[in-house]
Amino acid sequence: MKKTAPFLALIICLLLALSVGATQIDSFWSALLHPGSNAILWEIRLPRVIAAVIIGAALGIAGLLAQGACNNALAEPAILGTTAGATLGAVVGILIGLAQVGSVGAIICGVVGALLTTAMTFKLAALRLELSSFALIIVGIAVSAVISSLAAILSLIANRADARSISFWSFGSLALVTKENLIGITITTIAGLLIAYTIAPSLDRLSLGDSTAFHLGVDPRRLRLIALVALSLLSGGAVSTVGTIAFIGLAAPHIARFIYGPSHRLLIGQSAVIGSLIVLIADTFARTVFAPNELPIGLATSLLGAPILIALVSLRSNLWKTQ
Amino acid sequence: MITINEITIIRDGRRIIQDFSEQIPAGSITVILGPNGCGKSTLLAAIAGDIAPDKGTITIDDIHPILSAPLELSRLRAVAIQNQSFTLGFTVRQIIEMAGMADEVLKSLALTKISERIVTSLSGGESQRVSLAQAIAQNTPVLLLDEPLSAQDQASKARIIKVLQKRAEQGATVVVVAHSGESDLTWADKVIKQFL
Repeated sequence: MKKTAPFLALIICLLLALSVGATQIDSFWSALLHPGSNAILWEIRLPRVIAAVIIGAALGIAGLLAQGACNNALAEPAILGTTAGATLGAVVGILIGLAQVGSVGAIICGVVGALLTTAMTFKLAALRLELSSFALIIVGIAVSAVISSLAAILSLIANRADARSISFWSFGSLALVTKENLIGITITTIAGLLIAYTIAPSLDRLSLGDSTAFHLGVDPRRLRLIALVALSLLSGGAVSTVGTIAFIGLAAPHIARFIYGPSHRLLIGQSAVIGSLIVLIADTFARTVFAPNELPIGLATSLLGAPILIALVSLRSNLWKTQ
Repeated sequence: MITINEITIIRDGRRIIQDFSEQIPAGSITVILGPNGCGKSTLLAAIAGDIAPDKGTITIDDIHPILSAPLELSRLRAVAIQNQSFTLGFTVRQIIEMAGMADEVLKSLALTKISERIVTSLSGGESQRVSLAQAIAQNTPVLLLDEPLSAQDQASKARIIKVLQKRAEQGATVVVVAHSGESDLTWADKVIKQFL
């Protein structure tokens, strides 16, 4: 029951999210059982709800990989520069005409940006000393700040008709998601998930420190490189589709760890489901509370995720022991 | 058999080990003895393949640890480091199972009672035994242990020595780093004191 509870909650929330919105859907169950019968349900709400589930899963797994690869409780894609890199990559791709907001082209630009920026964080953190999780976090925050500023400046100086949609996207919103957008994000999420599943046992060993992990047959440098690729696929895909959504990468893995323990293989699925649940609830809240106007989803994910995380930490302080 | 051939190790400009040669036979327990900072853990790390000697070679049964892939190396030697830290809440059993089969090792080191405890809540002595248990569970022909007895009471020490002797009898090469304050070394087959 413990294992399936978040999944059951996700199914219930998914149906609720489909049923509510600015426009009332008459005969909801009938419309749901007859594909294409209601345009609002099938063309607008369903792609958006599916996107929320996929994006939440991608960010949840990305956070788990970041924390596992850095062996640090604070690590998440936003702190390592991955999110900022994905934003800059997508913005550059859109501004030079390689891609449109939410397109497969934007996802490719976002993934490349995420990969290059995260690689830069890892490289700079290991420039003078052996790579440490402390150096990674400090350098990651600095790299993230610089790259975010560059992305913001580029968005502001772009004199384009779609500048408003770029700005809207960069603050995080699922409002622009269409059925076509789902293909790219599904591919990057499945690829990231498969890589995460493969390296999960090695991440368990890495939690014992680089030295012990090496003694147990893990190459820490190679493992981090593989995690970096997966992290970039997951975050790059999500960010280039819906912009920056705060907090999921940090909160979902910690909530999953609190319920299910530290084993990474088990945590992949559970971080994904909890991430999906938070994004789905937050997006439903963001689009319904002031309907027809929408809140940026990042505000809602922070409002929802932060109190849960604080409650969990106060309930059990040994989730992640710092040395 | 571990063969150390004329190795020199320099760290931060300091010569820690110089022109040191030694042969450590299989099927025995060898103790590397010395005071703090004398380089005994550095020597163990070099044997383990963690660090490369600046000069000379180390081989384990004709295999160069420093040139071997981590997975290949993990089948050749197991290492218990000093002061193993645990950050995530795995159970004692889960930690040991990361290396191999847990039941027999848990029993031989009297860890069965705490096998379901979370490792972040263990005492220093218990953590040390869990780290040792993990290395033993790896079931490799070479066992490299950095001060595995330093935080143990007499009963635990006797139990650990018995386990190591059994592994040596089975043909393993057991290398134990010990502080020079360790008074009773009658259980060791060979003691190395001088390597600078």
